[in-house]
Amino acid sequence: MELAAGNAVKKPSIIIQPRKGLFQLDLRSVWNHRELLFFLVWRDVKVRYKQTAIGALWAILQPMVTMVLFTVIFSKFAKIPSDGIPYPVFAYAALLPWIYFSQALTQSANSLVGSSSLVTKVYFPRLLIPLAASVSPMVDLLFSFMVLLILMAWYDIAPTWGLLALPLFLGLAITTALAVGLWSSALNVRYRDVGHTIPFLSQVWMYASPVAYPVSMVPEQWRLLYSLNPMAGVIEGFRWALLGKKSPDFIVMAVSAAVVLLLLFGGIVYFKRMEQTFADVI
Amino acid sequence: MENLAIRTEQLSKKYDLAMAKHRHDTLRDQLMESLMSVFRGKNKRPGNQNETSFWALRDISFEIGQGEIVGIIGHNGAGKSTLLKILSRITEPTLGRGEIFGRVGSLLEVGTGFHPELTGRENIFLNGAIIGMKREEIRRCFDTIVDFAEIDKFIDLPVKRYSSGMYVRLAFAVSAHLKPEILLVDEVLSVGDLQFQRKCMAYAEELRNSGATILFVSHNMFSIKAICKRVIWLAHGEIRADGPPDEVIPLYEKVSRYSSDRRAGAAAMGGTSEMPIHITDVQIFDESGTPRAIFEYGERMRVRVCYTAIKEIRNPNFVVALIRSDNVACCNYSTATDGFPVPSLHGDGVVEVLTPPLKIVSESYTISAFVWDKDFQQKYGSLDGPNFHIRHHLYNTHFGVFHEKGEWFVPREIADNQVSIAKEV
Repeated sequence: MELAAGNAVKKPSIIIQPRKGLFQLDLRSVWNHRELLFFLVWRDVKVRYKQTAIGALWAILQPMVTMVLFTVIFSKFAKIPSDGIPYPVFAYAALLPWIYFSQALTQSANSLVGSSSLVTKVYFPRLLIPLAASVSPMVDLLFSFMVLLILMAWYDIAPTWGLLALPLFLGLAITTALAVGLWSSALNVRYRDVGHTIPFLSQVWMYASPVAYPVSMVPEQWRLLYSLNPMAGVIEGFRWALLGKKSPDFIVMAVSAAVVLLLLFGGIVYFKRMEQTFADVI
Repeated sequence: MENLAIRTEQLSKKYDLAMAKHRHDTLRDQLMESLMSVFRGKNKRPGNQNETSFWALRDISFEIGQGEIVGIIGHNGAGKSTLLKILSRITEPTLGRGEIFGRVGSLLEVGTGFHPELTGRENIFLNGAIIGMKREEIRRCFDTIVDFAEIDKFIDLPVKRYSSGMYVRLAFAVSAHLKPEILLVDEVLSVGDLQFQRKCMAYAEELRNSGATILFVSHNMFSIKAICKRVIWLAHGEIRADGPPDEVIPLYEKVSRYSSDRRAGAAAMGGTSEMPIHITDVQIFDESGTPRAIFEYGERMRVRVCYTAIKEIRNPNFVVALIRSDNVACCNYSTATDGFPVPSLHGDGVVEVLTPPLKIVSESYTISAFVWDKDFQQKYGSLDGPNFHIRHHLYNTHFGVFHEKGEWFVPREIADNQVSIAKEV
């Protein structure tokens, strides 16, 4: 009869229980909170250049100055080759994803610790915090991208069909930043050492990535090991998609992408495991 | 129960003490620790694990119906705040299960995530999203939030330029529009000025009238009694009692009295300064000698102090102190200052003080009894006595510590030249 249905126990809107199993990732709740993600990113972007004199110009200034320095030191003095592309454009196209990555790395590593008042006071999927931190520097990248277009016009480099693949590499860059950010932000809650390591790490990492030099300079027998660095694939991809670099190293890109996916998956699992104790430890 | 709001089944939370100790420690310490433990390896017994962890909550099972107002009491560290944290999903339980039927809000989160650089308008959206409102919802009640906060002129100013009053009003306005069906209030953790706390209570009151379920953690038995129809008493992470306040609170107060007795006793026993006078009991009665725990403002109270003097004490000075629940010592009655000299005493005895009409404001108080020397230099004995309440519909802690009528008049020399109120009437 209908009575049974009428008396049926109302479903609880929230169930609280300890998480069991390694792979209970509950990514659905992240999706349900996508509006909050938007607001967190929006906050980061809005706040970044508040009360600065030149505002968003900072986003352009940093890669431009670095490019000039690189051109003088690595191209003029050290005579590093650039795969037949004018060196300034060659470096700038790599600096775009690299500067994005190093910013995202710094921000996401400190993201959880920096929002301890949120973590100890309100519930929402903690994953949103490093996620927002690794997405928001994208806005800077879009600004500095304009300059690249000008540079390309100046050096008379026409975009190729490879440009269509750019979103793919943007995605790969975000995924890399997120994967590293998940690990570092969760570790930073327990060990504040991480916060101190990041500036140093990002410096070392830059020299291990083909920012100032081409992948072709890396000896053949080390190439595979080299491509374990996910940023190698991202940067190689950027150069190929934007500048139509000939003979891109697809193996480097594929290995990098595989490493990123592994790192990301491990990062999510680790983050989710640590998540339950964030509020107690932070 | 018909309409459940919260159900928990054996909710338990274990804290790792080792982890808590190492919370801000560095990787190096951790490595050293593990290295050391290798050397200590042999001494390590398997039982050791129990010493490094403890249960902040254990087997907490209860059901709370919609619209119930439940007070949660217990000593510090009894697990009250942990319970609220689990129910608001800030931390996870180690074992057990909880079910929540409806939208949860807590006064902990007021103003959480406010960014000083953002404007009032921007913060409304950000804070709203953080506490769980949809963008559409925030947009819908945006105007009412601004009205409620009374900041319409400043809405596009960064909140770092706000006065603290404006800041709190805005933070509160957003939280108040979440309209939770279940509200968690932790008065112990609540910060902010008086105005803010009063606003919290008014908000809780309003929600109560709208039929929301409220869980209320407090140390103040008086406000628990005033608000709650049911009280859950937590002790050492477990539910000690669950029932109407008239039943549970006296039990709780009895135990808290005993435990402080034991502390006083232990202090008296240990150390070189053994107290020569044991105060064995402190009782309170009304003027006619009937035991009582609640007094109306302006009533007189009789406090009886029973003691045993182990050796002869000359010129002892009995002191009865009234201490408010927030540890403000409100007044002292003393045999030395009140003109009742006691030349000497030995053995068992009783002394009583009849207070003047009590003009302290409506709150919960504790009686403490002491024996000092006449110059308040050396303490011979002490005991924390029972609690009592003072009741008055108007005079509470917002009004002052005590209230005594003042005499009002218009000075005569001025009154002649002034169309005075008094003369008109």
